[in-house]
Formats: sequence, structure tokens, C-alpha cells
Amino acid sequence: MPSKDMIGRTLGTGSATIDAEHVAAFARALGDTNPAYYGPGATAPLTYPIAFMTQAMAGGMDTFLELGLNFMTLVHGEQEFEYLRPVRVGETLTLTGRIADIYEKAGSSGTLDFVVLETEARDTSGAPVFYSRNVLISRRS
Amino acid sequence: MPLDATSVHVGQELPPLVKGPITREMLREYGPAAGDPNPIHVDDEFAKNAGYPGVFAHGMLSMGFLGEFLVNAAGVGNVRKFRARFAKLTWPGDVVTCKGTVTAVRDEDSVRVVDCEIWTETQTGERKVVGSATLALPR
Repeated sequence: MPSKDMIGRTLGTGSATIDAEHVAAFARALGDTNPAYYGPGATAPLTYPIAFMTQAMAGGMDTFLELGLNFMTLVHGEQEFEYLRPVRVGETLTLTGRIADIYEKAGSSGTLDFVVLETEARDTSGAPVFYSRNVLISRRS
Repeated sequence: MPLDATSVHVGQELPPLVKGPITREMLREYGPAAGDPNPIHVDDEFAKNAGYPGVFAHGMLSMGFLGEFLVNAAGVGNVRKFRARFAKLTWPGDVVTCKGTVTAVRDEDSVRVVDCEIWTETQTGERKVVGSATLALPR
């Protein structure tokens, strides 16, 4: 079970360069034909950060594993984004992640552990582009 | 038709978006595109071993549909906040309809800010993914 002592721990920083073909493939997988997502001047669909955040934050994996979540029952419970502007193809974003909260709730089939991860993305000028809040839930084994 | 900043009002419905029916092919395409390798969305045996009747859709696939729905309503670059809770599972064969209602309207500088309650529901009317969004419409 995750220790509340880990609240506030950083998950490190990482970076992602936004690739036009990857953005287009993501939009196609959603069946979203909005021309804004295709071509060299494209922006990315609203949920596209999910496609690069985890990989960009791979350096934080050791800390994440330290949480001791039950991966067999791990689910994505909630996702929240705040956008300052759209993500643009060709740009490089720097991501910083932290463990924002840890709590538990009694569920019908056992105790549920909740971990809240917050990630912020900034562009090369240091300006924020989006914030992400991700609630993970696992049932204690 | 996008929302009109001058006439938008509390209680107004956002134009619905119908997606699907969900196919296994859609799930096989979404996982790699989103960097989600979890076999629970593509491998029935794996899903059954985990206690489910079979594969189910990625929560983020439904959130992606809601994203398209919000951009249709507000325009690219006009969504400020977008939250979703994955309350119930969506299954292959489900037709997913994105819906929403305006809950608040206020003015800030050059934009009209619109809060919405949003959700997906399937053909039975059951709400699957529920959330909220804040739109900033130029006025």
C-alpha cells in the first residue's frame, strides 16, 4: 500500500517533441477528422498528452514503483487537463511530475488505494502549456 | 454548429456527437496510438483472467470522443479545462453518444466563459464517462 509519506515527491522531469505523424495517428484512432490535427502546422487533440506523458516521465518509474500499488487491479479513475494553449506539432515540451495526493477508500471488494499524479508541461520559453491531473485506483490485494 | 457566445445560456444542450459502435479494431488501433500497451483492451483471455467478461474500451478513448465533442462546440484552442471520471466500462458494440449541458456563463475580458457538465452514454442511456469542462468563447 502507498505510504502517505510519498505525497509531494517528485516524479522527475522529462521532455517530449511533438511529432506530426504521431498526432495524426492519434486523431485517426479517435475517428476525429478535424483538419486542425493533420499536417505540418497542426495542433494536437485535447487528450493527446496521454500519448506522450507516461513515456516522457519514464525517469520517475522507480518512484512510481515505490508506491507499491497492486498493478493487477490498477485502473485510471479520473483525468483532468487544464490548457493554456493547444499543443503544437514540432515543439518540445518539458514535463515535471509529482505525487499530489494519496488516500484510501473502503470499496465493496476491499480497500481501494488512490494516487493522484500531477504533471505540468512547459514550452522552451518556460511558459506553461497544460497541467494534467491523473487519479489512479488500485484494489489492495 | 459551435456554440454562439452571444446567445449561450445555462441549461442549453451542447450539440451531441455519436461515435461507434465500438469495435475491437478501434481498440487495437487506439492502444498503440496512445502508448497504452494494456492487453485488457485487446485480449479476451487476458480480460477474463482479470475478472471481466471480455475486452472493454480504454477510458481515454471515450474521453477522446468527449474532446472532439468539446472542440466541435467551442473551436480549437477554446477549451480551458476538461475533466472526466471513468465511472462505468464501455464495451465492444456500444454506441457512444457525447452529451453536455451548460451549467454557468460569465464574462472575463474578451471571452465568455462557459462551464458545462459533460458525459458519454450508450444505447441503453447509461452514463459511462462523466465530467465537466470550461470553454472560453471569443465574443
